Amino acid sequence: MKYAFYPGCVSRGGCPELYPAAKLICQRLGIELEEMPAAACCGAGVMQEKNQLFGDTLNARTMAMAEKKGLGLMTICSTCQGVMAQANHRMKSDSAYLEKINSNLAEEGLHYSGGVQPKHLLWILIEDYGLDKLMPLVTKPLRGLRLAPFYGCYIVRPTEALGIEEHPERQTSLETLIAALGATVIDFEGKTRCCGFPILTINEKNSMAMVGKHTSEAKDLGADAMVTPCPLCHLNLDGYQPKAASQAHRPIGLPILHLPQIIGLAMGISPKELGLQRHIVNTKPLLVKLGAGG
Amino acid sequence: MDLTVRVKRFNPEAEPRQPYWQDFPISIDENATVLDTLIHIREMVDGTLSLRCSCRSAICGSCAMRINGHAGLACKTKASDAMDKDGMIKVEPAGNMPVVKDLVVNLDLFWRKIVQVEPFLKPQGPEPEAEYVVPNEAMMHLSGVTACIMCGACVSDCTVLEVDPNFLGPAALAKAYRFTADPRDGDGEGVSRERLRKLSDYGGMWDCTRCGECVQACPKGVAPMDRIMALREQAIKAGFDNNNGARHTEAFTESVGHSGSLNELQLPVKTVGITNIPALLGFLPVGLRALTHGKLPPLVHKNIANVEFVRKLHHKLEEHQPEK
Amino acid sequence: MLEHDVLIIGAGLAGMRAAIAAKANGANTAIISKVHPVRSHSNAAQGGINAALTDRGDNWEDHAYDTIKGSDFLGDQDAIEVMCRAAGRSLIDMEHMGVTFNRDEEGHLGTRAFGGQRRARTFFVGDFTGQALLHVMFEQLIKSGIQSYEEWFVTSLVQEEGRVCGVVALEIRTGQLHAIRAKTVIFCTGGLGRVFEPSTNALIVTGDGMALAYHAGARLMDMEMVQYHPTTLAGSGVLISEAARGEGAYLLDKNGERFMKKYAPNMMELASRDVVSRSEQTEINAGNGVNGCVYLDCRHLGEKLIKEKLSQIREIGIDLAGADMVKEPIPIRPGMHYMMGGIKTDVNGLTNLPGVYAAGECACVSVHGGNRLGANSLLDTIVFGERSGSHAAAAAGELKFVDFSAAAAVQREEQRIQAMLNRPQNGDRVASVRLGMGESMNRNLAVFRQKTGMEETVQELQELKARFAKVPVENKGKVFNTDLVFALELGFMLDCAETIAVSALERKDSRGAQFRTDYPKRDDENWLKHIAVTKGEVGPEISHLPVTITKWTPEERKY
Repeated sequence: MKYAFYPGCVSRGGCPELYPAAKLICQRLGIELEEMPAAACCGAGVMQEKNQLFGDTLNARTMAMAEKKGLGLMTICSTCQGVMAQANHRMKSDSAYLEKINSNLAEEGLHYSGGVQPKHLLWILIEDYGLDKLMPLVTKPLRGLRLAPFYGCYIVRPTEALGIEEHPERQTSLETLIAALGATVIDFEGKTRCCGFPILTINEKNSMAMVGKHTSEAKDLGADAMVTPCPLCHLNLDGYQPKAASQAHRPIGLPILHLPQIIGLAMGISPKELGLQRHIVNTKPLLVKLGAGG
Repeated sequence: MDLTVRVKRFNPEAEPRQPYWQDFPISIDENATVLDTLIHIREMVDGTLSLRCSCRSAICGSCAMRINGHAGLACKTKASDAMDKDGMIKVEPAGNMPVVKDLVVNLDLFWRKIVQVEPFLKPQGPEPEAEYVVPNEAMMHLSGVTACIMCGACVSDCTVLEVDPNFLGPAALAKAYRFTADPRDGDGEGVSRERLRKLSDYGGMWDCTRCGECVQACPKGVAPMDRIMALREQAIKAGFDNNNGARHTEAFTESVGHSGSLNELQLPVKTVGITNIPALLGFLPVGLRALTHGKLPPLVHKNIANVEFVRKLHHKLEEHQPEK
Repeated sequence: MLEHDVLIIGAGLAGMRAAIAAKANGANTAIISKVHPVRSHSNAAQGGINAALTDRGDNWEDHAYDTIKGSDFLGDQDAIEVMCRAAGRSLIDMEHMGVTFNRDEEGHLGTRAFGGQRRARTFFVGDFTGQALLHVMFEQLIKSGIQSYEEWFVTSLVQEEGRVCGVVALEIRTGQLHAIRAKTVIFCTGGLGRVFEPSTNALIVTGDGMALAYHAGARLMDMEMVQYHPTTLAGSGVLISEAARGEGAYLLDKNGERFMKKYAPNMMELASRDVVSRSEQTEINAGNGVNGCVYLDCRHLGEKLIKEKLSQIREIGIDLAGADMVKEPIPIRPGMHYMMGGIKTDVNGLTNLPGVYAAGECACVSVHGGNRLGANSLLDTIVFGERSGSHAAAAAGELKFVDFSAAAAVQREEQRIQAMLNRPQNGDRVASVRLGMGESMNRNLAVFRQKTGMEETVQELQELKARFAKVPVENKGKVFNTDLVFALELGFMLDCAETIAVSALERKDSRGAQFRTDYPKRDDENWLKHIAVTKGEVGPEISHLPVTITKWTPEERKY
């Protein structure tokens, strides 16, 4: 099992613990990853608001690279996943548009046929790898741990671009995985809402209100931690949680875990290797509860 | 078919003066819509159930409500599609608006925001004797926006309105775009400058988080968020770029266009403006916390391989952007 | 007390156009509607709006002739002339207000063909022209700053000193009753579609204005002329626009034959609506349909055209019948759609009651006569909405308010409503009474009619009225009591139903939308005249009015 790997900017930038954690668990799972050092940023939807064509061209370029390798494309970020899927959707439903984009890729010797389906690690584990294959590797089930899922907008909406009609199981993929790892799912209203990250530097008050709302909701429902497949959500929910808590005039203290981290923990990988000490919200109480040590 | 409609009820005149759920087990035609089930309940089971509905064909915009937690038109949703495996459909009033009774919400603020964007054509210069001569493509494009029926589904599920009622919201912003994108509207060479200026303020286009809820909720394919993104593009082009939102977008694009990836250290600085000392100091606590946890992005930002191709694309596509 | 020079009841296209015109003419104007303006049923007009634009070689006389022929020569030709002459200007005004009409390749307004017309003069916005116009008119209403009472339901008129001098209205959100004084009142309340079951009409289309005016002494005219639209969707009965046939769609029987060649060899699917509906029903009755329907086939139009110009009806087909017209023919049948008749007015919208005007579907000028052409209804609302608004404003300038007691008017209405709420439970339901009425009307006053059937309906309506007088209202609350609103609406509908049935019985020929199997021929000698109804001591009183003929002599209709 082999994929062209698209880690995205944040997993090596603002969330430097994610990239090694993802690589590590893939290695243990036997998923081979081939990096694409020339792949550019997906644009995160930000670039697209100024110049959609440029953003779509860069994503076509990345997908063309995967296509050239004859590999599927793996993402580990909800935003990368959604932005690429949306670009793909636009190109697939408008052949003239795809042609125009290809004319710009020709100089680099690239051509995109439209055949790549970018897939988040979360979907890959359930759809391609299979939970039955994963289960034997879960040596330390997360029993007793109460985990709240937090998807990140781009991996749930718009459903048309994400192929959710053909794959309805994607809508509950995070809960499925949490349960498979032996933890208890804490269902809450905010799980598919916005973390507020995109407006962090534009309207911080609103952004903090979103962080505060979702983390306290999960906390109040008894969650020990929140799990997200999106490093951008992580940046806001974890990095800005202290600020959100002070705006909300209440303590929160809810650790936010990256998806590969909970898989790693369940496979018995040490918290340190997974970078849990690098989080802003203290993860120690959680690890103590899990009996995994600090 | 047999199903249960679980309706969130509220009656301000009777106890309990709190919303509560009530189950209505009914039997109805296979092709019935969710609206048909509610009309059936209202007419044949419980006349005290209040809801707005009229056309039954997704054109009047009366029956927007949350069905299984997400906003949509009851008349456009088939009951058989909405039912879960136990034959249950959960129906509650639209969100982000005060409930008047049962499924009826108060849309006063919704309409005030529509009025706020001055929703009428403001042409520059005298009207022509006959019709304005404009390309069909421009009208077809606008018709995609004027397809909005003002049902409020987008507003119901908007994540920003959830935390800030001052946000204009997806419906009003899409309505505004309907004018800024109209070749007949404008106060400067066919550009609606004054509109774009006002819409760049707090509560306007830059407050959207791009969460996509409105795109998902809209029953008419208006895709309000995409219209908000188009507004941003128009505003930047019209020179209204002296705000964090526009700077954020510019800096982001610049960073990727130059190095192929995002410079996360530079982005916030460029967004608030390099001379904005108070805002820059505001980043310090978070930055320090990140630093002590080994969570800062690399201090030296590296280029991706083959970056020259990305730079070429950036140069080419930034200079040849499609016009409105 | 609230008071306005001009009070417009109903905020659809005609109502908002009237309000804007009245305000422009200096009147203190208000508009009152039981729903928010953009929820009005003008939304449902899909196909377009007719106008003969001289700069593309068309002329108003041709439009007028097509309209007159479509009306089966029952339309008043002076009124039709007024409408067709005004059409071009009205259309351009709407474009200047901001309507996003489809364009031709040069960027000029584009047209599509529509039924019963010899040339393409229907201007359109995709297949949601009514919605596009309604929302733009609402924008203009906002711009004008006109007072708008939204979700206020007029339950009765106040008449003193021999004229209508105000209204009492229920504020639906609070349950409070208000009296509003007015010098002039304009009814723009739309049609009465829900009198029939099924109908393409929205649930709010309940003939309120016609009934209120009728009770106040206004004359209703052409009430027997009920249009059955040729293409309503199987099952739900929702409208599938004539735009489909305008763009070239076929009507097929169960063998895939285009049966219209038997009935209208020249115009085929684009004959006038009464002719097409009758042909369909004839085929269905002869066993050439499937499950009471024939087929509308759009497949040959291609996916691109359908998506560009017929997107809304495609969606409706997918949502409500599970059929995608890109891939398969969709099952359709004739269904009640429009009321040609209504409150009799002159070309300025004035009724026989001083200070009372009417415009749009609730009015009968009469520009549609026995059968309305597709895309003439939007035109009717704009032209006569504007005229009635201007004239009502001018008339208001000459009038003083009548000084009636608001408290007394409100109290009277409160008592009447309280009496309804106090009725004991008797097992009957408003919805059952309404269904009884609708099914009876659809059984006996549809495409084909005959004496015994219609008499049966007259009899049934008497029984239903007796039940209505005792029917309980389950919801006793004040806040958003839709149960009460439906009960009040049902009262209006029963009155309307009766006027339709007695008018249809009175007309002993077949003309336009009325086809009597017992009088299958048009009889110009005896019945080239309007049938009018007023409210008498014991029931409807019938009279006859002449048809105005200016220069087009009645002739046999062939398509």
